[in-house]
Amino acid sequence: MGAFLAAYGDSLALWLPPLVRAARVTLIVAVLSIGVGAITGLPLALLKLRGNRGLRRAASFYIEVTRGTPALAQLYITYFGLAGIGLTLDNVTAAVLALGLNAAAYMAEIYRAGIESVHAGQREAAMSLGMTPAQAFRFIVLPQAWRVVLPPGANLGIAVLKDTSLASAIATPELMSRAYDLVGQTWRPMHIYLLVAFMYLAMCLPLAQIVRRLERGVKRSDVLAARVPEAAGWRQRVPAA
Amino acid sequence: MIGFVGFWEILFARLPSFLPYLLRGAVVTLEITAATLAVAVILGLALAVMQRTRARFVATTARAYIEVMRSIPVLTTLFVIYFGLAYLGIQLPSFVAAVIALGMLGGSYMAEIIRAGLDAVHVGQREAAMSLGMTPTQAMRFIVLPQALRVIVAPTANYTIGLLKDTAIVSTVAAPELLFAAKTLVSQTILPMQVYVLTASIYFLMSWPLARAARHLEIRLSRGV
Repeated sequence: MGAFLAAYGDSLALWLPPLVRAARVTLIVAVLSIGVGAITGLPLALLKLRGNRGLRRAASFYIEVTRGTPALAQLYITYFGLAGIGLTLDNVTAAVLALGLNAAAYMAEIYRAGIESVHAGQREAAMSLGMTPAQAFRFIVLPQAWRVVLPPGANLGIAVLKDTSLASAIATPELMSRAYDLVGQTWRPMHIYLLVAFMYLAMCLPLAQIVRRLERGVKRSDVLAARVPEAAGWRQRVPAA
Repeated sequence: MIGFVGFWEILFARLPSFLPYLLRGAVVTLEITAATLAVAVILGLALAVMQRTRARFVATTARAYIEVMRSIPVLTTLFVIYFGLAYLGIQLPSFVAAVIALGMLGGSYMAEIIRAGLDAVHVGQREAAMSLGMTPTQAMRFIVLPQALRVIVAPTANYTIGLLKDTAIVSTVAAPELLFAAKTLVSQTILPMQVYVLTASIYFLMSWPLARAARHLEIRLSRGV
């Protein structure tokens, strides 16, 4: 054990800089993928909820197939498959595209649950005040749905961050693939992979903490809303226990 | 870029040679899934029980294990188990390493599922059972667990679907499962799009019936809860 830890003392200064640089790529790929997922997920959810039959079917098909196949297989299709039929993407673009479109399917279901959680009366009331359906959605439904969407959406974000490790299979220069290279150079797999596991932990644990706070916030406001109407206003002035 | 017609023609012409090869891989995928599920359920049960004990230290250890495992990518865990242990002199076959790595993560998911199931049973049930003279173990075995099972089954099915897809990462340590078979086939035929689309279809055909069954179970079992 002592000898094992001593190797860290000798080489940590050598290993850490390239790994931290790679962790930055991991974060960039994760943020871009989540962005692609969050942006394409909303129209997908709307197609599934409000589209005509053909569009609804198409959206469902996309969501079911994407959720029913491994992300790694999707990465291979995007990178090797597309290259095989003449469309060559660089490995960062392919990773963002594959992970983002994968996240979009999950995001669509999260958006759908959020939109469905808003009572239909809200939309009807908005439209009876003269709002167009688009306005009612934008200003009345979406802000309320957002509350329900945020916690599972943030959870998905953590999952995407971890899934970026799959991109090492197509040599995207992120944390996991840099670790793999480093193991090839130093032949210390246990040291380096444990270090990398710790780095992922350091990135994900704070995020998990934020998600938990979000979840608690939503739950508390639901409890308050279920009580007598004025209770919500009264409670807010009392400092949280 | 070759035409779309050419794509399907090539796929259908090669199907008789591709399919048996990939299906053998799919069998290994199912084997890994089943073995991992068993490990995850046992580990999850242990962790769930640990979290409910009065001993503070035991409960905290279980909690910490769950949090840590869920924050690390399975791929990293797999590489620690497969390459890391080999470096320390423990050379595991890739199948075994896969089941351990996926099972270690699965245990933390199952622990949460089982805990939620046990929590869903009203305390009055346990108290009533014990007031009738049952021991705590009997109350757990005959009263609480059967009722908790209703809540546990559907999310377990959902976890299994996720697991089935996650086994794909085992291809990176050369376990002879579906995606690894596909990779081998691609290196022989240089037809990545055809092979990977076919492979994804096989995954979908395995996971989709499971997803349907899970949804059905969820509706059936939620009756009367």
